[in-house]
Amino acid sequence: MKRILTILMTLVMLLAVAPFALAQSEAGSADAQKTEAQGDNQINPKKIIFAHLGDTYGWELPFTHDVRLPLPIIVRGNDGSWRCFSSARLMNGAEYEGFKIASADDANYPSKVVEMVNGTEYRPLDLSITKDVLALIISALVVLACVFSLVRWYRRNPMKAPRKGVGIIEVITQFVYDGVIVCTLGDKAKKFGPYLLTVFFLILFMNLLGLCVIFPAGANLTGNIAITMFLAVCTFLLTNLFGTKHYWKDIFWPDVPLWLKFPIPIMPFIELFGIFTKPFALCVRLFANMMGGHMIVLVLTLLIFIFQATMNSMVVTGATTIVSVAFSLFMLLIDTLISFIQAYVFTMLSTLFISLAQEKGEKEQVIESK
Amino acid sequence: MELFKPEIGLVFWMFIVFLLLLFVLGKYGWPAIIKSLDKRAALIDKGVEYAQNAKEQLDSAKAEAEKIIAEGQRRQDDILRDAEKMRTSIIEEAKAAASVEAKKVIDAAQLSIEQSRKESELQFRNEVSAFAINIAEKMVRKDMANDKAQADLVDKLLNEVEKKN
Repeated sequence: MKRILTILMTLVMLLAVAPFALAQSEAGSADAQKTEAQGDNQINPKKIIFAHLGDTYGWELPFTHDVRLPLPIIVRGNDGSWRCFSSARLMNGAEYEGFKIASADDANYPSKVVEMVNGTEYRPLDLSITKDVLALIISALVVLACVFSLVRWYRRNPMKAPRKGVGIIEVITQFVYDGVIVCTLGDKAKKFGPYLLTVFFLILFMNLLGLCVIFPAGANLTGNIAITMFLAVCTFLLTNLFGTKHYWKDIFWPDVPLWLKFPIPIMPFIELFGIFTKPFALCVRLFANMMGGHMIVLVLTLLIFIFQATMNSMVVTGATTIVSVAFSLFMLLIDTLISFIQAYVFTMLSTLFISLAQEKGEKEQVIESK
Repeated sequence: MELFKPEIGLVFWMFIVFLLLLFVLGKYGWPAIIKSLDKRAALIDKGVEYAQNAKEQLDSAKAEAEKIIAEGQRRQDDILRDAEKMRTSIIEEAKAAASVEAKKVIDAAQLSIEQSRKESELQFRNEVSAFAINIAEKMVRKDMANDKAQADLVDKLLNEVEKKN
């Protein structure tokens, strides 16, 4: 295993260095071109990084920089009518029926579809199938495929344990269901288990697909606050809608000395605040972890180009390439681990929050046991 | 910052995709998987219990078998001991019987020896007396005159012969 890893690393580095060596040898002959090109291709790391982390209306296909998979744009214009057209019509700043994609430097809506009404930019209600939406659908389909492969296995071999790929799904399912959900929720596991398992698998596959850099994966989904916020809101709703009487009593009238809750409700205030901070922490934790991981890999890769642009020496560029590729490979491996850990942590904390809201007071427990 | 503003379109699609996924998996996916897992776990538990029972039974059967073997061993030992005892007693008896028989034979032999000795003595005596009569006859032929002296002499000679024997 160690030897394979070493060989792989060496290969990757050789492959990474080769184009630069070629580019350097050509550089001398193309001196005139370069001075011209430097003006255009001034590297703007911030722009590149956020372009990669953010959402786009087309999906860049591998090995090209211009060919993009056109995706449907669905917008409701200023006049209240719905429009649906291909994003290919808006590429390269083109305008279609008054709609266009604002430039990345736009002050209000950078890289978003805007409608020009009487010369002013107006943001329509935008329900386009963007890159992130398509990636989300792909992730959901992958989850479905995985889960139903397991279901099909059980239908065919009712009492046998699956092996290999299907076996992994079963192991993970059992790990989460038995290790987290049943342990924490007990007899309520059947009620909340499907939600928690779905959340776990969706986050896991969104994370992992986000790490495979080329189409049809590579969208920074869990590093997008809309996704994590939605999931956190779901947990928030499940926690509070199914909360027991005891849970609400503990928030508004907790078992603390009277002066902590009577004239000035200090504890109730803190508890009420806690209701909202819990899902907020869930949302931000997943978002920051995944976005951070993507960002570090991007920065490490960009280092090569920054050094290339500033130093313009073959030795420095080669050395940077080796170091950058090694570090980004290392970071991607860590991100793989983080993908799993973050999915696990999100599920575990959701389970914990839900189970805390399911707790019964001592009185109720006594009555029930009688 | 663009990244920190949730996009309404993405939230909308996430809502739809997630609810659909949750509905499909919650209806046809997870319950089936959990049921199968529980069933298999129950089967395995039952299997383990069965195996434990079987092992207990096997253990008890083994103990039983060992007991029976030990019993058999004990009996074998007893039988062997009895046989040994019987053998020695038979030998003893045979020896005793043989010695009695031998004694009988010896006694008979002694008796016959005694008899034959007496017979030979008698025969010897007869022969001696025949010799003596012969001698006496010769002496009588030679000297018939002195009967008494001759008889005394014969008697004296006979006595001597007896003493020699």
